[in-house]
Amino acid sequence: MTTEMTSNQKDQSPLLEGRGVSKYFGGLAALHNVDFAIYPGEIMGLIGPNGSGKTTLFDCLSRVQQINTGEIHFKGQEISKKKPFQVAHMGLARTFQVFRVYRKLTVLENMLLSRQWRNESIFRQLRPSHPDTDQRARELLEFLTLDHLTYEQAGNLSGGQQRLLEIGMALMPDPELILLDEAASGVNPVLINTIKDRILHLSNEQGKTFLLIEHNMEFIGDLCSRVFVLNFGEKLAEGTPEDVMTNEDVIEAYFGS
Amino acid sequence: MGRKILDLIRAIIFNRWVLAAIVVLLFLMPSLFYAREWCQELDAFTSPLQDSVCTYLIEEKPVTNAVLLNFTQLFILIILASNWNLTGGFTGYIDFGHAVFFGLGGFATALLMGSSRWEDWPALFSDWSFWPAMLGAGIVAAIFALLIGSFTLRLKGPYFSIAMLGTLVATREIVRASSNISGGGLGLSLPVYLNRPMFYYLSLVMLLFVVNFVRWIRSTEFGSSLVAIREDEVGAEMRGINTTLNKITVFCISAFLTGLVGGMWAYMNTFLDADIAFNQNRTIDMVMMTMLGGLGTVAGPVIGSTILYWLRDVLWANFLLFHQIFEGILLIIIVLFVPEGIMGLLDKDSSGTSLNRIVKGWFKKEPEEHPRTS
Amino acid sequence: MDFSDLLIQTLINGILIGGLYGVMTLGFSVIWGVMGVINLAHGEFLMLGAYMAWVLNKQQGWEPFLTLLVILPVMFLLGYVIQIVLINRIIEKPHLIALLVTYGLAIVMASTVKLIYTANPRITTTQFSGYWEFDFGGFVLPVTKTLVLIAALLMMFGLYFFLNRTRFGKSIRAAAQNKEAARMVGIEINKVYAATFGICIALTGAAGMLLSPLGSIHPFMGAAWTLKAFAITAMAGLGNIPGALLGGMMLGLVENLLATFVPTVGSSVGIISSFALLVIVLVTRPQGLFGGLKAPQEIR
Repeated sequence: MTTEMTSNQKDQSPLLEGRGVSKYFGGLAALHNVDFAIYPGEIMGLIGPNGSGKTTLFDCLSRVQQINTGEIHFKGQEISKKKPFQVAHMGLARTFQVFRVYRKLTVLENMLLSRQWRNESIFRQLRPSHPDTDQRARELLEFLTLDHLTYEQAGNLSGGQQRLLEIGMALMPDPELILLDEAASGVNPVLINTIKDRILHLSNEQGKTFLLIEHNMEFIGDLCSRVFVLNFGEKLAEGTPEDVMTNEDVIEAYFGS
Repeated sequence: MGRKILDLIRAIIFNRWVLAAIVVLLFLMPSLFYAREWCQELDAFTSPLQDSVCTYLIEEKPVTNAVLLNFTQLFILIILASNWNLTGGFTGYIDFGHAVFFGLGGFATALLMGSSRWEDWPALFSDWSFWPAMLGAGIVAAIFALLIGSFTLRLKGPYFSIAMLGTLVATREIVRASSNISGGGLGLSLPVYLNRPMFYYLSLVMLLFVVNFVRWIRSTEFGSSLVAIREDEVGAEMRGINTTLNKITVFCISAFLTGLVGGMWAYMNTFLDADIAFNQNRTIDMVMMTMLGGLGTVAGPVIGSTILYWLRDVLWANFLLFHQIFEGILLIIIVLFVPEGIMGLLDKDSSGTSLNRIVKGWFKKEPEEHPRTS
Repeated sequence: MDFSDLLIQTLINGILIGGLYGVMTLGFSVIWGVMGVINLAHGEFLMLGAYMAWVLNKQQGWEPFLTLLVILPVMFLLGYVIQIVLINRIIEKPHLIALLVTYGLAIVMASTVKLIYTANPRITTTQFSGYWEFDFGGFVLPVTKTLVLIAALLMMFGLYFFLNRTRFGKSIRAAAQNKEAARMVGIEINKVYAATFGICIALTGAAGMLLSPLGSIHPFMGAAWTLKAFAITAMAGLGNIPGALLGGMMLGLVENLLATFVPTVGSSVGIISSFALLVIVLVTRPQGLFGGLKAPQEIR
């Protein structure tokens, strides 16, 4: 293990931990025997060439995909048998590589719908959104510089704005772990810096934990304390961004030999 | 210019005073019917006013049983379309078999009111009066929706639509085949009760309730979560919405209301068999009227049903043989050319100005720019 | 007849009718596979073919099997025109649009036929009737049904050969797999679609002729047949010809077994069993039994 953990991290138990996670599509191994651990408060990068299983891993974590073998523990609980909404209730939020905003609803409605849905009965939902929820949604929109679009239909937003909205929707339930799938792709440089700022702010001020898939190495280098590399569904390397980017296996996987 | 006219239409339709006036008129309409009955019982007219009014009422018959029946049928169609809109429009689960709940409600009412032809039919579920029987119809439909929905609602898109079409066709065959309960080809006869004004008021009250109910649902978080399911079900579930629970709930609510209407319709019709209770055309009506008005809007089914019913009544009554062909063609035209429906046309680029302001604008030299209000 | 004899005879009947179900499904499943359009008017095209056979049989005195010579080209033309006028507009649209437009088409067709020929049930009469008896065990093969099976197998083989061996068939399959790529290599996609629709409708009309001597036909028979086609397609996978044959035979067997051994279900058995099969298959194996069913695009 090349990782240099801070003493803080060694003492803590991991927030999210996977042991021997495998996922097969037919005969194709999208993930093979992957182990990983993410500690509270860190920003971890997940990189790898196209088709290396990054998004599949996210899908397995947010329970859209069933894993074939292995265990995933989140906050000490086994989650690989839970439903997607139950994992969300536990405090795991994510964004998507392909936008998943509710296109026909307004930006504000999108945010309100992403609130923390505790396991409440239908009757609790039979009322308009709580003023506190509304307040929080508006604050977050302001934080993400989307407040001028509050009443716009989400489908009319530009790609970068939809990215920001997705991040806002992921932040809305005040999750402990946030999975960001290519949060910087298709976003103009100014917005990238905004996103970067916001992530750092959330990590430093509020102690949120992030796991990000990214192709933009600069983005990774600026944000992440640790990087995890997948290739053909297997763990290739793990360590600080500098270590990983000079790792020969990684260079070979990206650029070929 | 066209935009301005559409805005005016929109403002008139959504003006609360206009709506209130329509509702009051609808409530008052049967009084003409009663007034005529009262006139007919009089031996002699005592005043010139009474004379002229009664002569008009008796000669011209402005409100007859037939008129009340027509309106009742229109109200029923609006209620059905609004119910269908809950699953089809808001939740995005296009149900091609919604008439199954209507039919089940009808049969439940008939059986509970004691029209079973089977000697062994349990006495406990027999000879109920109409109101509990209608409630029972709703409950039967909701339970059936729970059973069938927990399977079919797992299916997505067209698979759900076809599975529900299959449910309708299969239920019709099963009901027809179980002839000792349903009467088979003979059908069932309900106790005869021909009080048109009663059914008129019942359906009007139900109409007002259902439309306001749908409007209220849409304003709640539950309602928004339904639209979220329509827009992106997987995303909604990953963001913490229990989509399965919510869509089954709305399916059952919609089925319950449809079952109630079915029960009322059966009592009004005094006769039913499998073919008329589970009539496929009823589903087509629901889909077409909602599409014409605007899928997933509260006002859409009301507007669509009214227009379509009027078209049917006024225009196609003259082409009785061709009316089904016309309807097929109209469905194609609606879907191809106004997929967003009338509400879509009215709402697109709408300034959302209220009628009040539009009228004020006419009397001012320079109309103000008004911000979007809705 | 004792129980095992009855069982074997039922199985024979199920397999015989299964060929018809298979060929009846092909049009539906190929259109869905190539164009992504679920044709709810499928049963009505079948009904149209059956009525053409009936008209030629009763009014002109033709042998029903000979009417195929007329039905195939006429239905091809009809399909070609309908594709260009109507279906082409809905290919790229969400599924709901296609479902509703073809539903409207179904209403128009059914009520037009009802207007012209009334709703009375009809049947064609063929000279090839009666039974062929076997020497062993005394089982019988109904001649008409056997001929229907043979014709159905021939048509299925013809389509299979066409799709896999001819140049045009290959371009259809290319268009089904990747529309853009097919366009790029110079395939005229609209012509391919129109011809595919025409061929599928021709096949469907021919299947309608095949069923016309077996059971009564009437203008509103369509929905039940669409449902059957959908159930078989769900089992077989899109555009899978051997799968359609297997699925059709399975449905035929289930139907015949139910009709023979469960009393009182009577004529409704077909719809009930195909619905049960449909729901079971869709819920348990959404990818189909014998192959991949494409995941439907989400309704937007």
